[in-house]
Amino acid sequence: MPATPGSSPPVVLRLQGLRKAYQEGGRRHEVLHDATAEILRGEFVVLLGPSGSGKSTLLNLVCGIDLPDEGVVQVAGEDLTALSERERTLFRRRHLGFVFQFFNLLPTLTVLENLLLPLELKGRVGAEEEARARGLLERVGLAARADAFPDRLSGGEQQRVALARALVHDPDLILADEPTGNLDPDTGERVMDLLDSLVREDGRTLLAVTHSRELADRADRILRLDHGVLQETSRGRAASGGEAAP
Amino acid sequence: MSLLRRSSLRFLARHPGQMALTVAGVALGVAVVVAIDLAIQSAREAFRISTETVAGRATHQVDGGPGGIPDSVFTRLRVELGIRSSAPVVDGHALSPLLPGRALRILGVDPFSEAPFRPYLAPTDGELDVGVLLTEPGSVLLSRETAEALGVAPGNALPVTVGAKSADLRVAGVLTPGPGLGRQGLRDLVLTDVSTAQSLLEIPGHLTRIDLAVPPGEAGDALLSRVRSVLPGGALVRTTGTRTDQMAGMLAAFDLNLTALSLLALVFGMFLIYNAMTFSVVQRRELLGALRAVGVTRREVRDLVLGEALVTGVVGSLLGLALGVLLGRGLVKLVTQTINDLYFVLSVESLTLPVAVLGKAGLLGVAATVLAGVPAIREAVQAPPRASLTRSVVEDRTRRLVPRAAGVGVALGALGGLLLLLPTRSVLVSFGGLFGLLLGMALLTPLATVAFVGLLRPVLFRTVGILGTMAARGVVASLSRTAPAVAALVVAVSVTVGLGTMIASFRGTVVRWLDHTLQADVYLSPPAPMASRAEGALPRGLAERLRDVPGVEGVSTYRGVTVPTEEGEMRLVALELHPRGERAFRFQDGDPSTAFSRFRAGEAVLVSEPFAYRRGLDVGDTVTLRGESGTARLPVAAIFTDYGSDQGVVMMGRVGYDRLFQDRRITSLGFFLAEGVEPEGVMEGLRSRLGEGEAVVMRSNQGLRQASLEVFDRTFAITAVLRALAFTVAFIGVLSALMALQLERGRELGVLRANGLTPGQVWTLVTTQTGVMGAVAGVLAVPAGLVLAAVMIFVVNKRSFGWTLQMEVGPELLLQAVGLAIAGALLAGLLPAWRMSRTSPALALRDE
Repeated sequence: MPATPGSSPPVVLRLQGLRKAYQEGGRRHEVLHDATAEILRGEFVVLLGPSGSGKSTLLNLVCGIDLPDEGVVQVAGEDLTALSERERTLFRRRHLGFVFQFFNLLPTLTVLENLLLPLELKGRVGAEEEARARGLLERVGLAARADAFPDRLSGGEQQRVALARALVHDPDLILADEPTGNLDPDTGERVMDLLDSLVREDGRTLLAVTHSRELADRADRILRLDHGVLQETSRGRAASGGEAAP
Repeated sequence: MSLLRRSSLRFLARHPGQMALTVAGVALGVAVVVAIDLAIQSAREAFRISTETVAGRATHQVDGGPGGIPDSVFTRLRVELGIRSSAPVVDGHALSPLLPGRALRILGVDPFSEAPFRPYLAPTDGELDVGVLLTEPGSVLLSRETAEALGVAPGNALPVTVGAKSADLRVAGVLTPGPGLGRQGLRDLVLTDVSTAQSLLEIPGHLTRIDLAVPPGEAGDALLSRVRSVLPGGALVRTTGTRTDQMAGMLAAFDLNLTALSLLALVFGMFLIYNAMTFSVVQRRELLGALRAVGVTRREVRDLVLGEALVTGVVGSLLGLALGVLLGRGLVKLVTQTINDLYFVLSVESLTLPVAVLGKAGLLGVAATVLAGVPAIREAVQAPPRASLTRSVVEDRTRRLVPRAAGVGVALGALGGLLLLLPTRSVLVSFGGLFGLLLGMALLTPLATVAFVGLLRPVLFRTVGILGTMAARGVVASLSRTAPAVAALVVAVSVTVGLGTMIASFRGTVVRWLDHTLQADVYLSPPAPMASRAEGALPRGLAERLRDVPGVEGVSTYRGVTVPTEEGEMRLVALELHPRGERAFRFQDGDPSTAFSRFRAGEAVLVSEPFAYRRGLDVGDTVTLRGESGTARLPVAAIFTDYGSDQGVVMMGRVGYDRLFQDRRITSLGFFLAEGVEPEGVMEGLRSRLGEGEAVVMRSNQGLRQASLEVFDRTFAITAVLRALAFTVAFIGVLSALMALQLERGRELGVLRANGLTPGQVWTLVTTQTGVMGAVAGVLAVPAGLVLAAVMIFVVNKRSFGWTLQMEVGPELLLQAVGLAIAGALLAGLLPAWRMSRTSPALALRDE
């Protein structure tokens, strides 16, 4: 739902005072220290940070795979820390979309079936859902490959299918983990274009973890995680006149 | 079908080799279990049907002693007591040169008494003229199939030998199977009238039993007490079911031992399934993580893998059932042969296929698959969403489990040991203990593997160089995959060593037993339907005729009979023992100096170890014997070693036997020759004194020894087959585990190849690693196998059959074990080594 003039768009993701630590060889290692942030509907936010800074941990907490030691993770108004493991899983299938670095398409399902899977997990798949999946394939330029198995596609094509899969069930929040990390620069660029346009055209909310400066340049906001501390470092595209910034 | 399910089925279809291995694991395990079960059930069913056909509708039967029941008893029952529902029966076995190797059952009946019992034999029933049996002495009826097997038709002569007597019978007609009278029931049955049977079996004026149809309730009890009042000494009234149950009960331990062995194949099959399924989950770890991330719940992942297990289980079990039926056809012959050799005469027409047996085995197969799939299912369910579980995490977890597994292993082993030490006679408990020990050993294997590889590493470094160190480290680094493979190899080889040692010890014990038991130089007996003991009787007066053949110094006579007792049938042997024959006995308990004199005088009996074990007898306890001339309670003077019958035997002096029983016949003779006399010449002399139609089997000491060992080897044929089958299944399991391990290391080997490792060095690396695993398994399997052998020899055999064996450990068997393990492991490494050395490094790297 795009923001209406004069009113602030609703908050899709709220992180409040997140703390997370692991025991390593008998020593406590704090990965997240009082992380707090908000992402509004329609925002394209990038999370940057050096290796080992806690980006993956944060992403795990956002999607409810892991739980914080302290703090609140609220997605689409739901406090994930108050849900059971099963409830969080069911929440993921309804409200979240994923793009992985290694695509992670199911090799035993065709391209179209890979897109239908999130829809099937959400409910019944009928003609309408199939049309929607085909429509998305059309948009990522792979309509002709609907019946191919993923191992017949190139890396870039596979990631395009993965983008379509992340969007097909209309999630509240899309999480991307190094979406271009496994692609060559040209292919990466094309995937970024596609991600950018798909997200913005539909007014989606995206949180992408990346090392890519190019991807960060396209974001509305950039969050930086360093030694467990989460900070907003710049306003990305908003600073240069982007429209989705609050 | 849901997309998840479709994806899972496509995965199975895309990995046909893996699927085939898993299905093979289930199928082979189920096949062995079902084959053994079918063979046992078919034998039992054949026994039940033939017993029921012969017993007909009789509720009770009067059994006589060795000499039978006088005809007059039957006459008194019918005439004086007015018991019309009674029928005389003369029952025995014959052999025919027309059907070598198969015993015929002679059933002599009185057609006019048959209506209440075997309506198919009543004169008015059907078109068959049973009356012809009465009018023409020597005429018999056969089933059409038996007649065809013998190659005779109505009107033809049927040559037979009963005991040592040859006779020509005449086939009067052919019985056709009908309602209540199946082919199995009539198989090998020769029906004749009472007097023909009496003459054949040489018990003129006597019956072997009288069948009774007794009504239930008080009227029946009153009738039975009237019957008992006219019975001679030694005769006993029993329900027909009791006798059948007692005979079937003889097979209980034999069946249980075979079933336990067949279950072992299933256990090995489970290892194969475990390995293949875990491999298939490990391969999909990242994929499962991705599925969990997009919102597939743990339960859905569990159902997915469980579904795969079920599909594999069902397909494998169905295949196993089909394979089992085929295998069962072969095994039923071996089982029947063993029953004939050791227990009683039985002829099985065909494999019966009870739905219950097939259903049970099918369910067992599916359950075993699911059970073996549990670790794979757990691994799948625990796959963390999004983040793929790295190999090192899995291995870290496994390494942490090693001490715990060893602890559980020690506890299980101790529990198994305690079960074995329990003062029980339950064979089932013993097998429980044995399986506990096996499982304990398997769980100790990872710890032992780590320890052994640690010891081997410096040696490998010195001999193979850095590749040797890498190979050794690889075994410990991939413990989650290597430990189960080594454990399976340890169990498979230790079971082979254990069974091999047990059989070799048993054979060695029997050889030594035969050496001292067979004291006579020449043995003479009638052709017997059972290989393990002499049956029937020699012609009257033959012993006297042969005693003074030149060269014969003395004779021992042997009379073996089966007498009915309240506790079941008892094998009784009456011996007139030549002094040289005393050396045949090895006493486990009892004083030889007094035992023999009391035995000869008929004041005491000697009992075999299995008999004492079964009946809980010690020296000094009494054995009650009921003969026609009265009842004797004789003390046990000694307990002797005997491996001839697991049912046990009571031996008494001929004098005592003759006092108690009116049976004067002799079953076999043992001739002691004068010093320096060759047996061949004496056998010639003995043969020359045989009369017309006197068929006897004459064997030298060496000949009988040889024949006895042949029987021994034959009875262990089925054990050998099962041992080989179980090992085959285990070996396929180990093969698949090692192959999976090496194929999984494709990337690692690709990196090594890219860094300059030659294909030859890849060979060295892979085969050194599998060789190390084989060596570890071999070294561990030897002590494990010896423990198993000791348990089988001293606990399972004692509790199953009542005898004590001497354990013999041959060095060649132990070397064979280590060799087998190493060769097996090396062989399993060949294919991956070949594949890896041929794969281009680029391809191996890209595959990942």
